[in-house]
Amino acid sequence: MLVSFLDSVKYVGHLVPISFLRIFLGYYYLQSAMLKYTSDFLNKPKIAETISEFLPLSQAPEWYKVIITTQMIPQWQILAFLVTGFEFAIAISYLIGYVVRPVAVLGVLLSLNMIFIMGPAYEDLNKTFLALHFVMAWIGAGRCLGVDYYFYKRRRGLWW
Amino acid sequence: MQHFIIFIFSIFFVLVLSFFNRKAVVDETQKTLRVYGYSSFTSKLGPGYDLKRKFEQICNCKVEFVEAADSGVLLQRIKLEGATLGADLVIGLDQYDLQKALSEINWRKLDFSQLEIDEIIRPALSNNYFVPFDWGVIAFVGRKEDPLPAPKSLKDLLKPIYKSKIALMDPRTSSPGMQFLSWVYDAMGKDEGEKYLEQIMNQAHSFSPSWSTAYGFFSKRQVSYVLSYLTSPLYHQLIENNHSIEAFKFSEKHPIQFEFAGIPLDCKECSLAEEFINLMLSDEGQKIIMNKNFMFPVIKSAQVGTPFESLAQFNHLAEFKIPSVSDVDFLIKSWTSIRRGDKNAK
Repeated sequence: MLVSFLDSVKYVGHLVPISFLRIFLGYYYLQSAMLKYTSDFLNKPKIAETISEFLPLSQAPEWYKVIITTQMIPQWQILAFLVTGFEFAIAISYLIGYVVRPVAVLGVLLSLNMIFIMGPAYEDLNKTFLALHFVMAWIGAGRCLGVDYYFYKRRRGLWW
Repeated sequence: MQHFIIFIFSIFFVLVLSFFNRKAVVDETQKTLRVYGYSSFTSKLGPGYDLKRKFEQICNCKVEFVEAADSGVLLQRIKLEGATLGADLVIGLDQYDLQKALSEINWRKLDFSQLEIDEIIRPALSNNYFVPFDWGVIAFVGRKEDPLPAPKSLKDLLKPIYKSKIALMDPRTSSPGMQFLSWVYDAMGKDEGEKYLEQIMNQAHSFSPSWSTAYGFFSKRQVSYVLSYLTSPLYHQLIENNHSIEAFKFSEKHPIQFEFAGIPLDCKECSLAEEFINLMLSDEGQKIIMNKNFMFPVIKSAQVGTPFESLAQFNHLAEFKIPSVSDVDFLIKSWTSIRRGDKNAK
């Protein structure tokens, strides 16, 4: 696996810049997830407060607002766990380059939701992340400097 | 696909496991009182900070402030969050918010009718759900050294000499702005009031979204007069040792603004919330509110021997009323249509 990790630089070297971006993004998500885990994000309804403060200003479609109001806010603890868990998943996946493609699709969905629920201050940031995750999924950014290259060589397929 | 599912499952498994391990060592015995309030009340400079410190010393609990920019946002949040999050106490609604608050949220009944309060306050206790904790008299404020003659009535404000020298607030986002709008209609009636508002649209320097923005224009000398409170000059006297600021007495009776606290029916720490209200209405709590908010206390004894005492004798006051939701809607709609029709809107 280590050999294929180094081999990847040789055979898919053109992806190295994207891999740096992937690792940087992974580091960002790791920081964000750690902050959520160590603070009271999981214990206190911070996410529900943020959502309910910005929901009236949100550009989200009405049906989505209804789901947020009736499902997400009352179950804020599950939502907080999902957000933190997905952020950890994106962080680890991007840092080691493992299952980057499906995780990037997850990142697209996460960013899409964040655009609607985290308020105008984070809207532009999440739009940028949305584009970055999309690119990661499209390219399969785990194939260079990542574990995915090992599996890609052996199994091929859409997942690597 | 298998790799992906195992990966995600492992992440969540580790997260949940570590979370419950961590939670086991956290002290869960301490209760938390969640107080929803506007930001200038809950900030370090407002009375909330001192009240919280005092309360935490006696209650064996934690007080958590949840801030909102204004009372509209406050109500929206409580409505959305409902019982799930449990707002235990709501602070800072004024009389224009009460009926809306009653129609949208269920509140716990409160009985403070036995309070020893000023007679001016008595009508504000007529409802069963909210208790007033401070009050103020709306007035225009200016500088003594200003070369212009002091305005003596609302109509004076339309004189050409005051053009672009008055800072007002937008009633849709600011409670003093709403007080001004209601003041105009109460003093002049519907038709004349509308004409007055059409004229004041071009006359005022600006209609700021909040009191603090408008007062900033005044402090930076961008305007000569600002809609504020009778007690505003006291802030400059006591904090800045500046005696040049004065509030003007108008021929029209001045409106009174009350600030209320209420406990939602969904509260989790209801008895703590009541104790917090008791602290706010105690002599000590009232002094904190008076000295930090620069508003009159509702308990008369709190202002005895302070500079607030003489100001509280001001008796040219309009009758207190709690407007209905339709009254408030009428005011807002009327303002919006006049504002929209103003070709020179700022």
